[in-house]
Amino acid sequence: MNRYFLYLVILNMLTNVIIFVPNFLIQYRYDGAIMSILIATISGMILMYLDSIVFARFPGKGLPEIIENRMRVPFKIILFVGFSLFWFTAGLITLLGYIDILHRFINPDLPKVWLMVIFLAAICFVIQLSTQKVVYLLEIILLLNGPLVIFIFFKAITSDYLNWDSIFEIGTHFFTPPKLTPIVVASYVFSGYTNIIIFNRLFKEKIKSINFALILGLSILNLFTSFLVPIGFHGADGAHEYMYPWIMTSDSIRLVYSPIERALFIFLMLYISITLLSVSVHWHVAFELIKGSYIKKQSKKKNWLVFACFIGFSILAVLRIDLLKPEMVIKFWLIARYFFEIIIVFCFFFFLRRRKA
Amino acid sequence: MKLTGKWFSVGVLFIIISFLLTGCGFKDIDKRLFVVSIGIDPAIDSSKKYLISLKFAIPIIEEKSNESMIVSEEADTISEAVRMIKPKVDKEIDFSHAKVIVYNQKIVQKEIEPNLYYWFIRRRDIQEVSWVAIGKPSALDVLKLKPKSERLPSNSLFLALGRDGPETAYIIPEFLFDFKRRFSEKGLDPYLPIIEVNKNAFEINKVGLLNKKQLKLSLKPMETMALNFLLNNESKSALVIDDKDKRLVIDTKRVKTKYKIVPDNQKQPYIKFDITINGRIEEADFSVNNADIPEYEKLARKVTQENVYQFLVKMQKANVDPIGFGLRYRARHFEKDDWKTWQQLYPSIKFKVNVDVQIEDTGLVE
Repeated sequence: MNRYFLYLVILNMLTNVIIFVPNFLIQYRYDGAIMSILIATISGMILMYLDSIVFARFPGKGLPEIIENRMRVPFKIILFVGFSLFWFTAGLITLLGYIDILHRFINPDLPKVWLMVIFLAAICFVIQLSTQKVVYLLEIILLLNGPLVIFIFFKAITSDYLNWDSIFEIGTHFFTPPKLTPIVVASYVFSGYTNIIIFNRLFKEKIKSINFALILGLSILNLFTSFLVPIGFHGADGAHEYMYPWIMTSDSIRLVYSPIERALFIFLMLYISITLLSVSVHWHVAFELIKGSYIKKQSKKKNWLVFACFIGFSILAVLRIDLLKPEMVIKFWLIARYFFEIIIVFCFFFFLRRRKA
Repeated sequence: MKLTGKWFSVGVLFIIISFLLTGCGFKDIDKRLFVVSIGIDPAIDSSKKYLISLKFAIPIIEEKSNESMIVSEEADTISEAVRMIKPKVDKEIDFSHAKVIVYNQKIVQKEIEPNLYYWFIRRRDIQEVSWVAIGKPSALDVLKLKPKSERLPSNSLFLALGRDGPETAYIIPEFLFDFKRRFSEKGLDPYLPIIEVNKNAFEINKVGLLNKKQLKLSLKPMETMALNFLLNNESKSALVIDDKDKRLVIDTKRVKTKYKIVPDNQKQPYIKFDITINGRIEEADFSVNNADIPEYEKLARKVTQENVYQFLVKMQKANVDPIGFGLRYRARHFEKDDWKTWQQLYPSIKFKVNVDVQIEDTGLVE
């Protein structure tokens, strides 16, 4: 079931638009964004490969099963709660970002809390499913949305209003030295591989190298598309003024002979399912990790308690969203995530590599 | 199949949720008034700055239903005007179908205030793909217009600017997002099509060129066509070749333009244009001879080259750059100060125009 690894990574590539990755890259367009993207690609691929060879030693086992008997209980609880907190915030940030978008573009009269409640109902249903079922859902939704993604991509690339000179103007700043923020931000598109710590339950054999080749190609295409297409549409000097560069870009595509003239709505519909799925996958990992801390004494009550925490925190976050500055929070979160990823991948590599399955 | 309790409750939950899915965000479509076009004029005689007019569509089920209503209000900003129009109408104003934004010529002749286009970008409900244009004699006159052939309010403008209707090289439509981009992009200047109203018809065959602040140049119809060819926008047109004693009209099927800025480090840089025109002879005031086609091509080449050259020099003198030479220069140079270099370069740069006319046939007549 190797292809599911590819899907997990692709899912993160698609969500990068919601989580302000294009914004940060566009901000650094004259300050080394291109070089940073290339460095992020290299570092992302290396981390991904290391992580996959570690987990290939434990076929069919997720992290909770692997360290079930290797750690003391209190230490295990700290580890799992800490990890799941990271996955939970990953999902939460995506969800808050998308709710903000929906609130602006589809239904400004509906309070954000209600939007959140509707989303939570669907997400909670998905995250308690078995890992196998989550992955089936992932495959179905990606297959349904794939044509739409490709359609919008081609419409954008072939548009008369995509100014290639603006894109080349960014290209002339290729030799500017890279900076930390764009590297960290760009590496987000690779981080789908970290979900392997739970989804490894489905991987019975080593991940084939064709997957890595595909991911490399897709990620470069994805990063340059999500960074440069808004610049082609809104100008090298003007694209940074927009809060949601991709939403503005999709609104700038006119579909003359289609049932709906504004491509914006196709884009928003597409991202409803992609965001839901991305949040579900992240929270599924968080949920399973927490479950790992009481793996021996499972009970429905504990599961419901975890759900209640998830729901409570998200509603609190959506109520207090104006207090947190979303862009700053996301920036710091992205930076923290990058170092967290490096640390856990190397820890896994050194501690788990020599252990027998 | 038996419904278990759990699945039954999930089913009920989904049915309940579906009641939340009322369309139109809590306000039904019959309680909304849809704006189809927006006009911005200077205020006539008051202390306020602008006169903002909104044209609302009034839906009637009839064969021809271009019924509409225009409400205007004077204010210093667009937002104020819109808020003051709200109490004048009985329904909620909805901008999601506002597809044409018309500026009075006087507004762009002076320095255009950025909020006059930023307002539309900032609003979430106005499409990025709405068209912007200059209205003559005033924006309000453009809104008031009801051509006989129009079936829905403002639809004739949508068709003309959207190229769904006429395919003509005299109209260069401009989208809102592109207009805004051209204001901020160094080396690419904005332009606006000019809609002129005469009695009960409109005419869009001119284009106004702006620098980053105000209207600099109003092009004649022939120059508009040339600009259209240079922008690679629309190829279908009629190219009139007017030499002293001969007049020849070529129906252009395909026009392709390429340009290059060469050589940059020598003393005399120039912009080299390569224009390929494919077409057929449609009309001539002399008897056309198939054997003489190369001669006609040569004539057409000479005349077009001269026209395009004059047009480019005219733009250069006004220091406007709608084609984006400056951006092209920036995109090909790695230096940090390439924009400064270009600003010094543009006023003195030379143009070399090379036109290649290919007359494929002479129509149905030999």
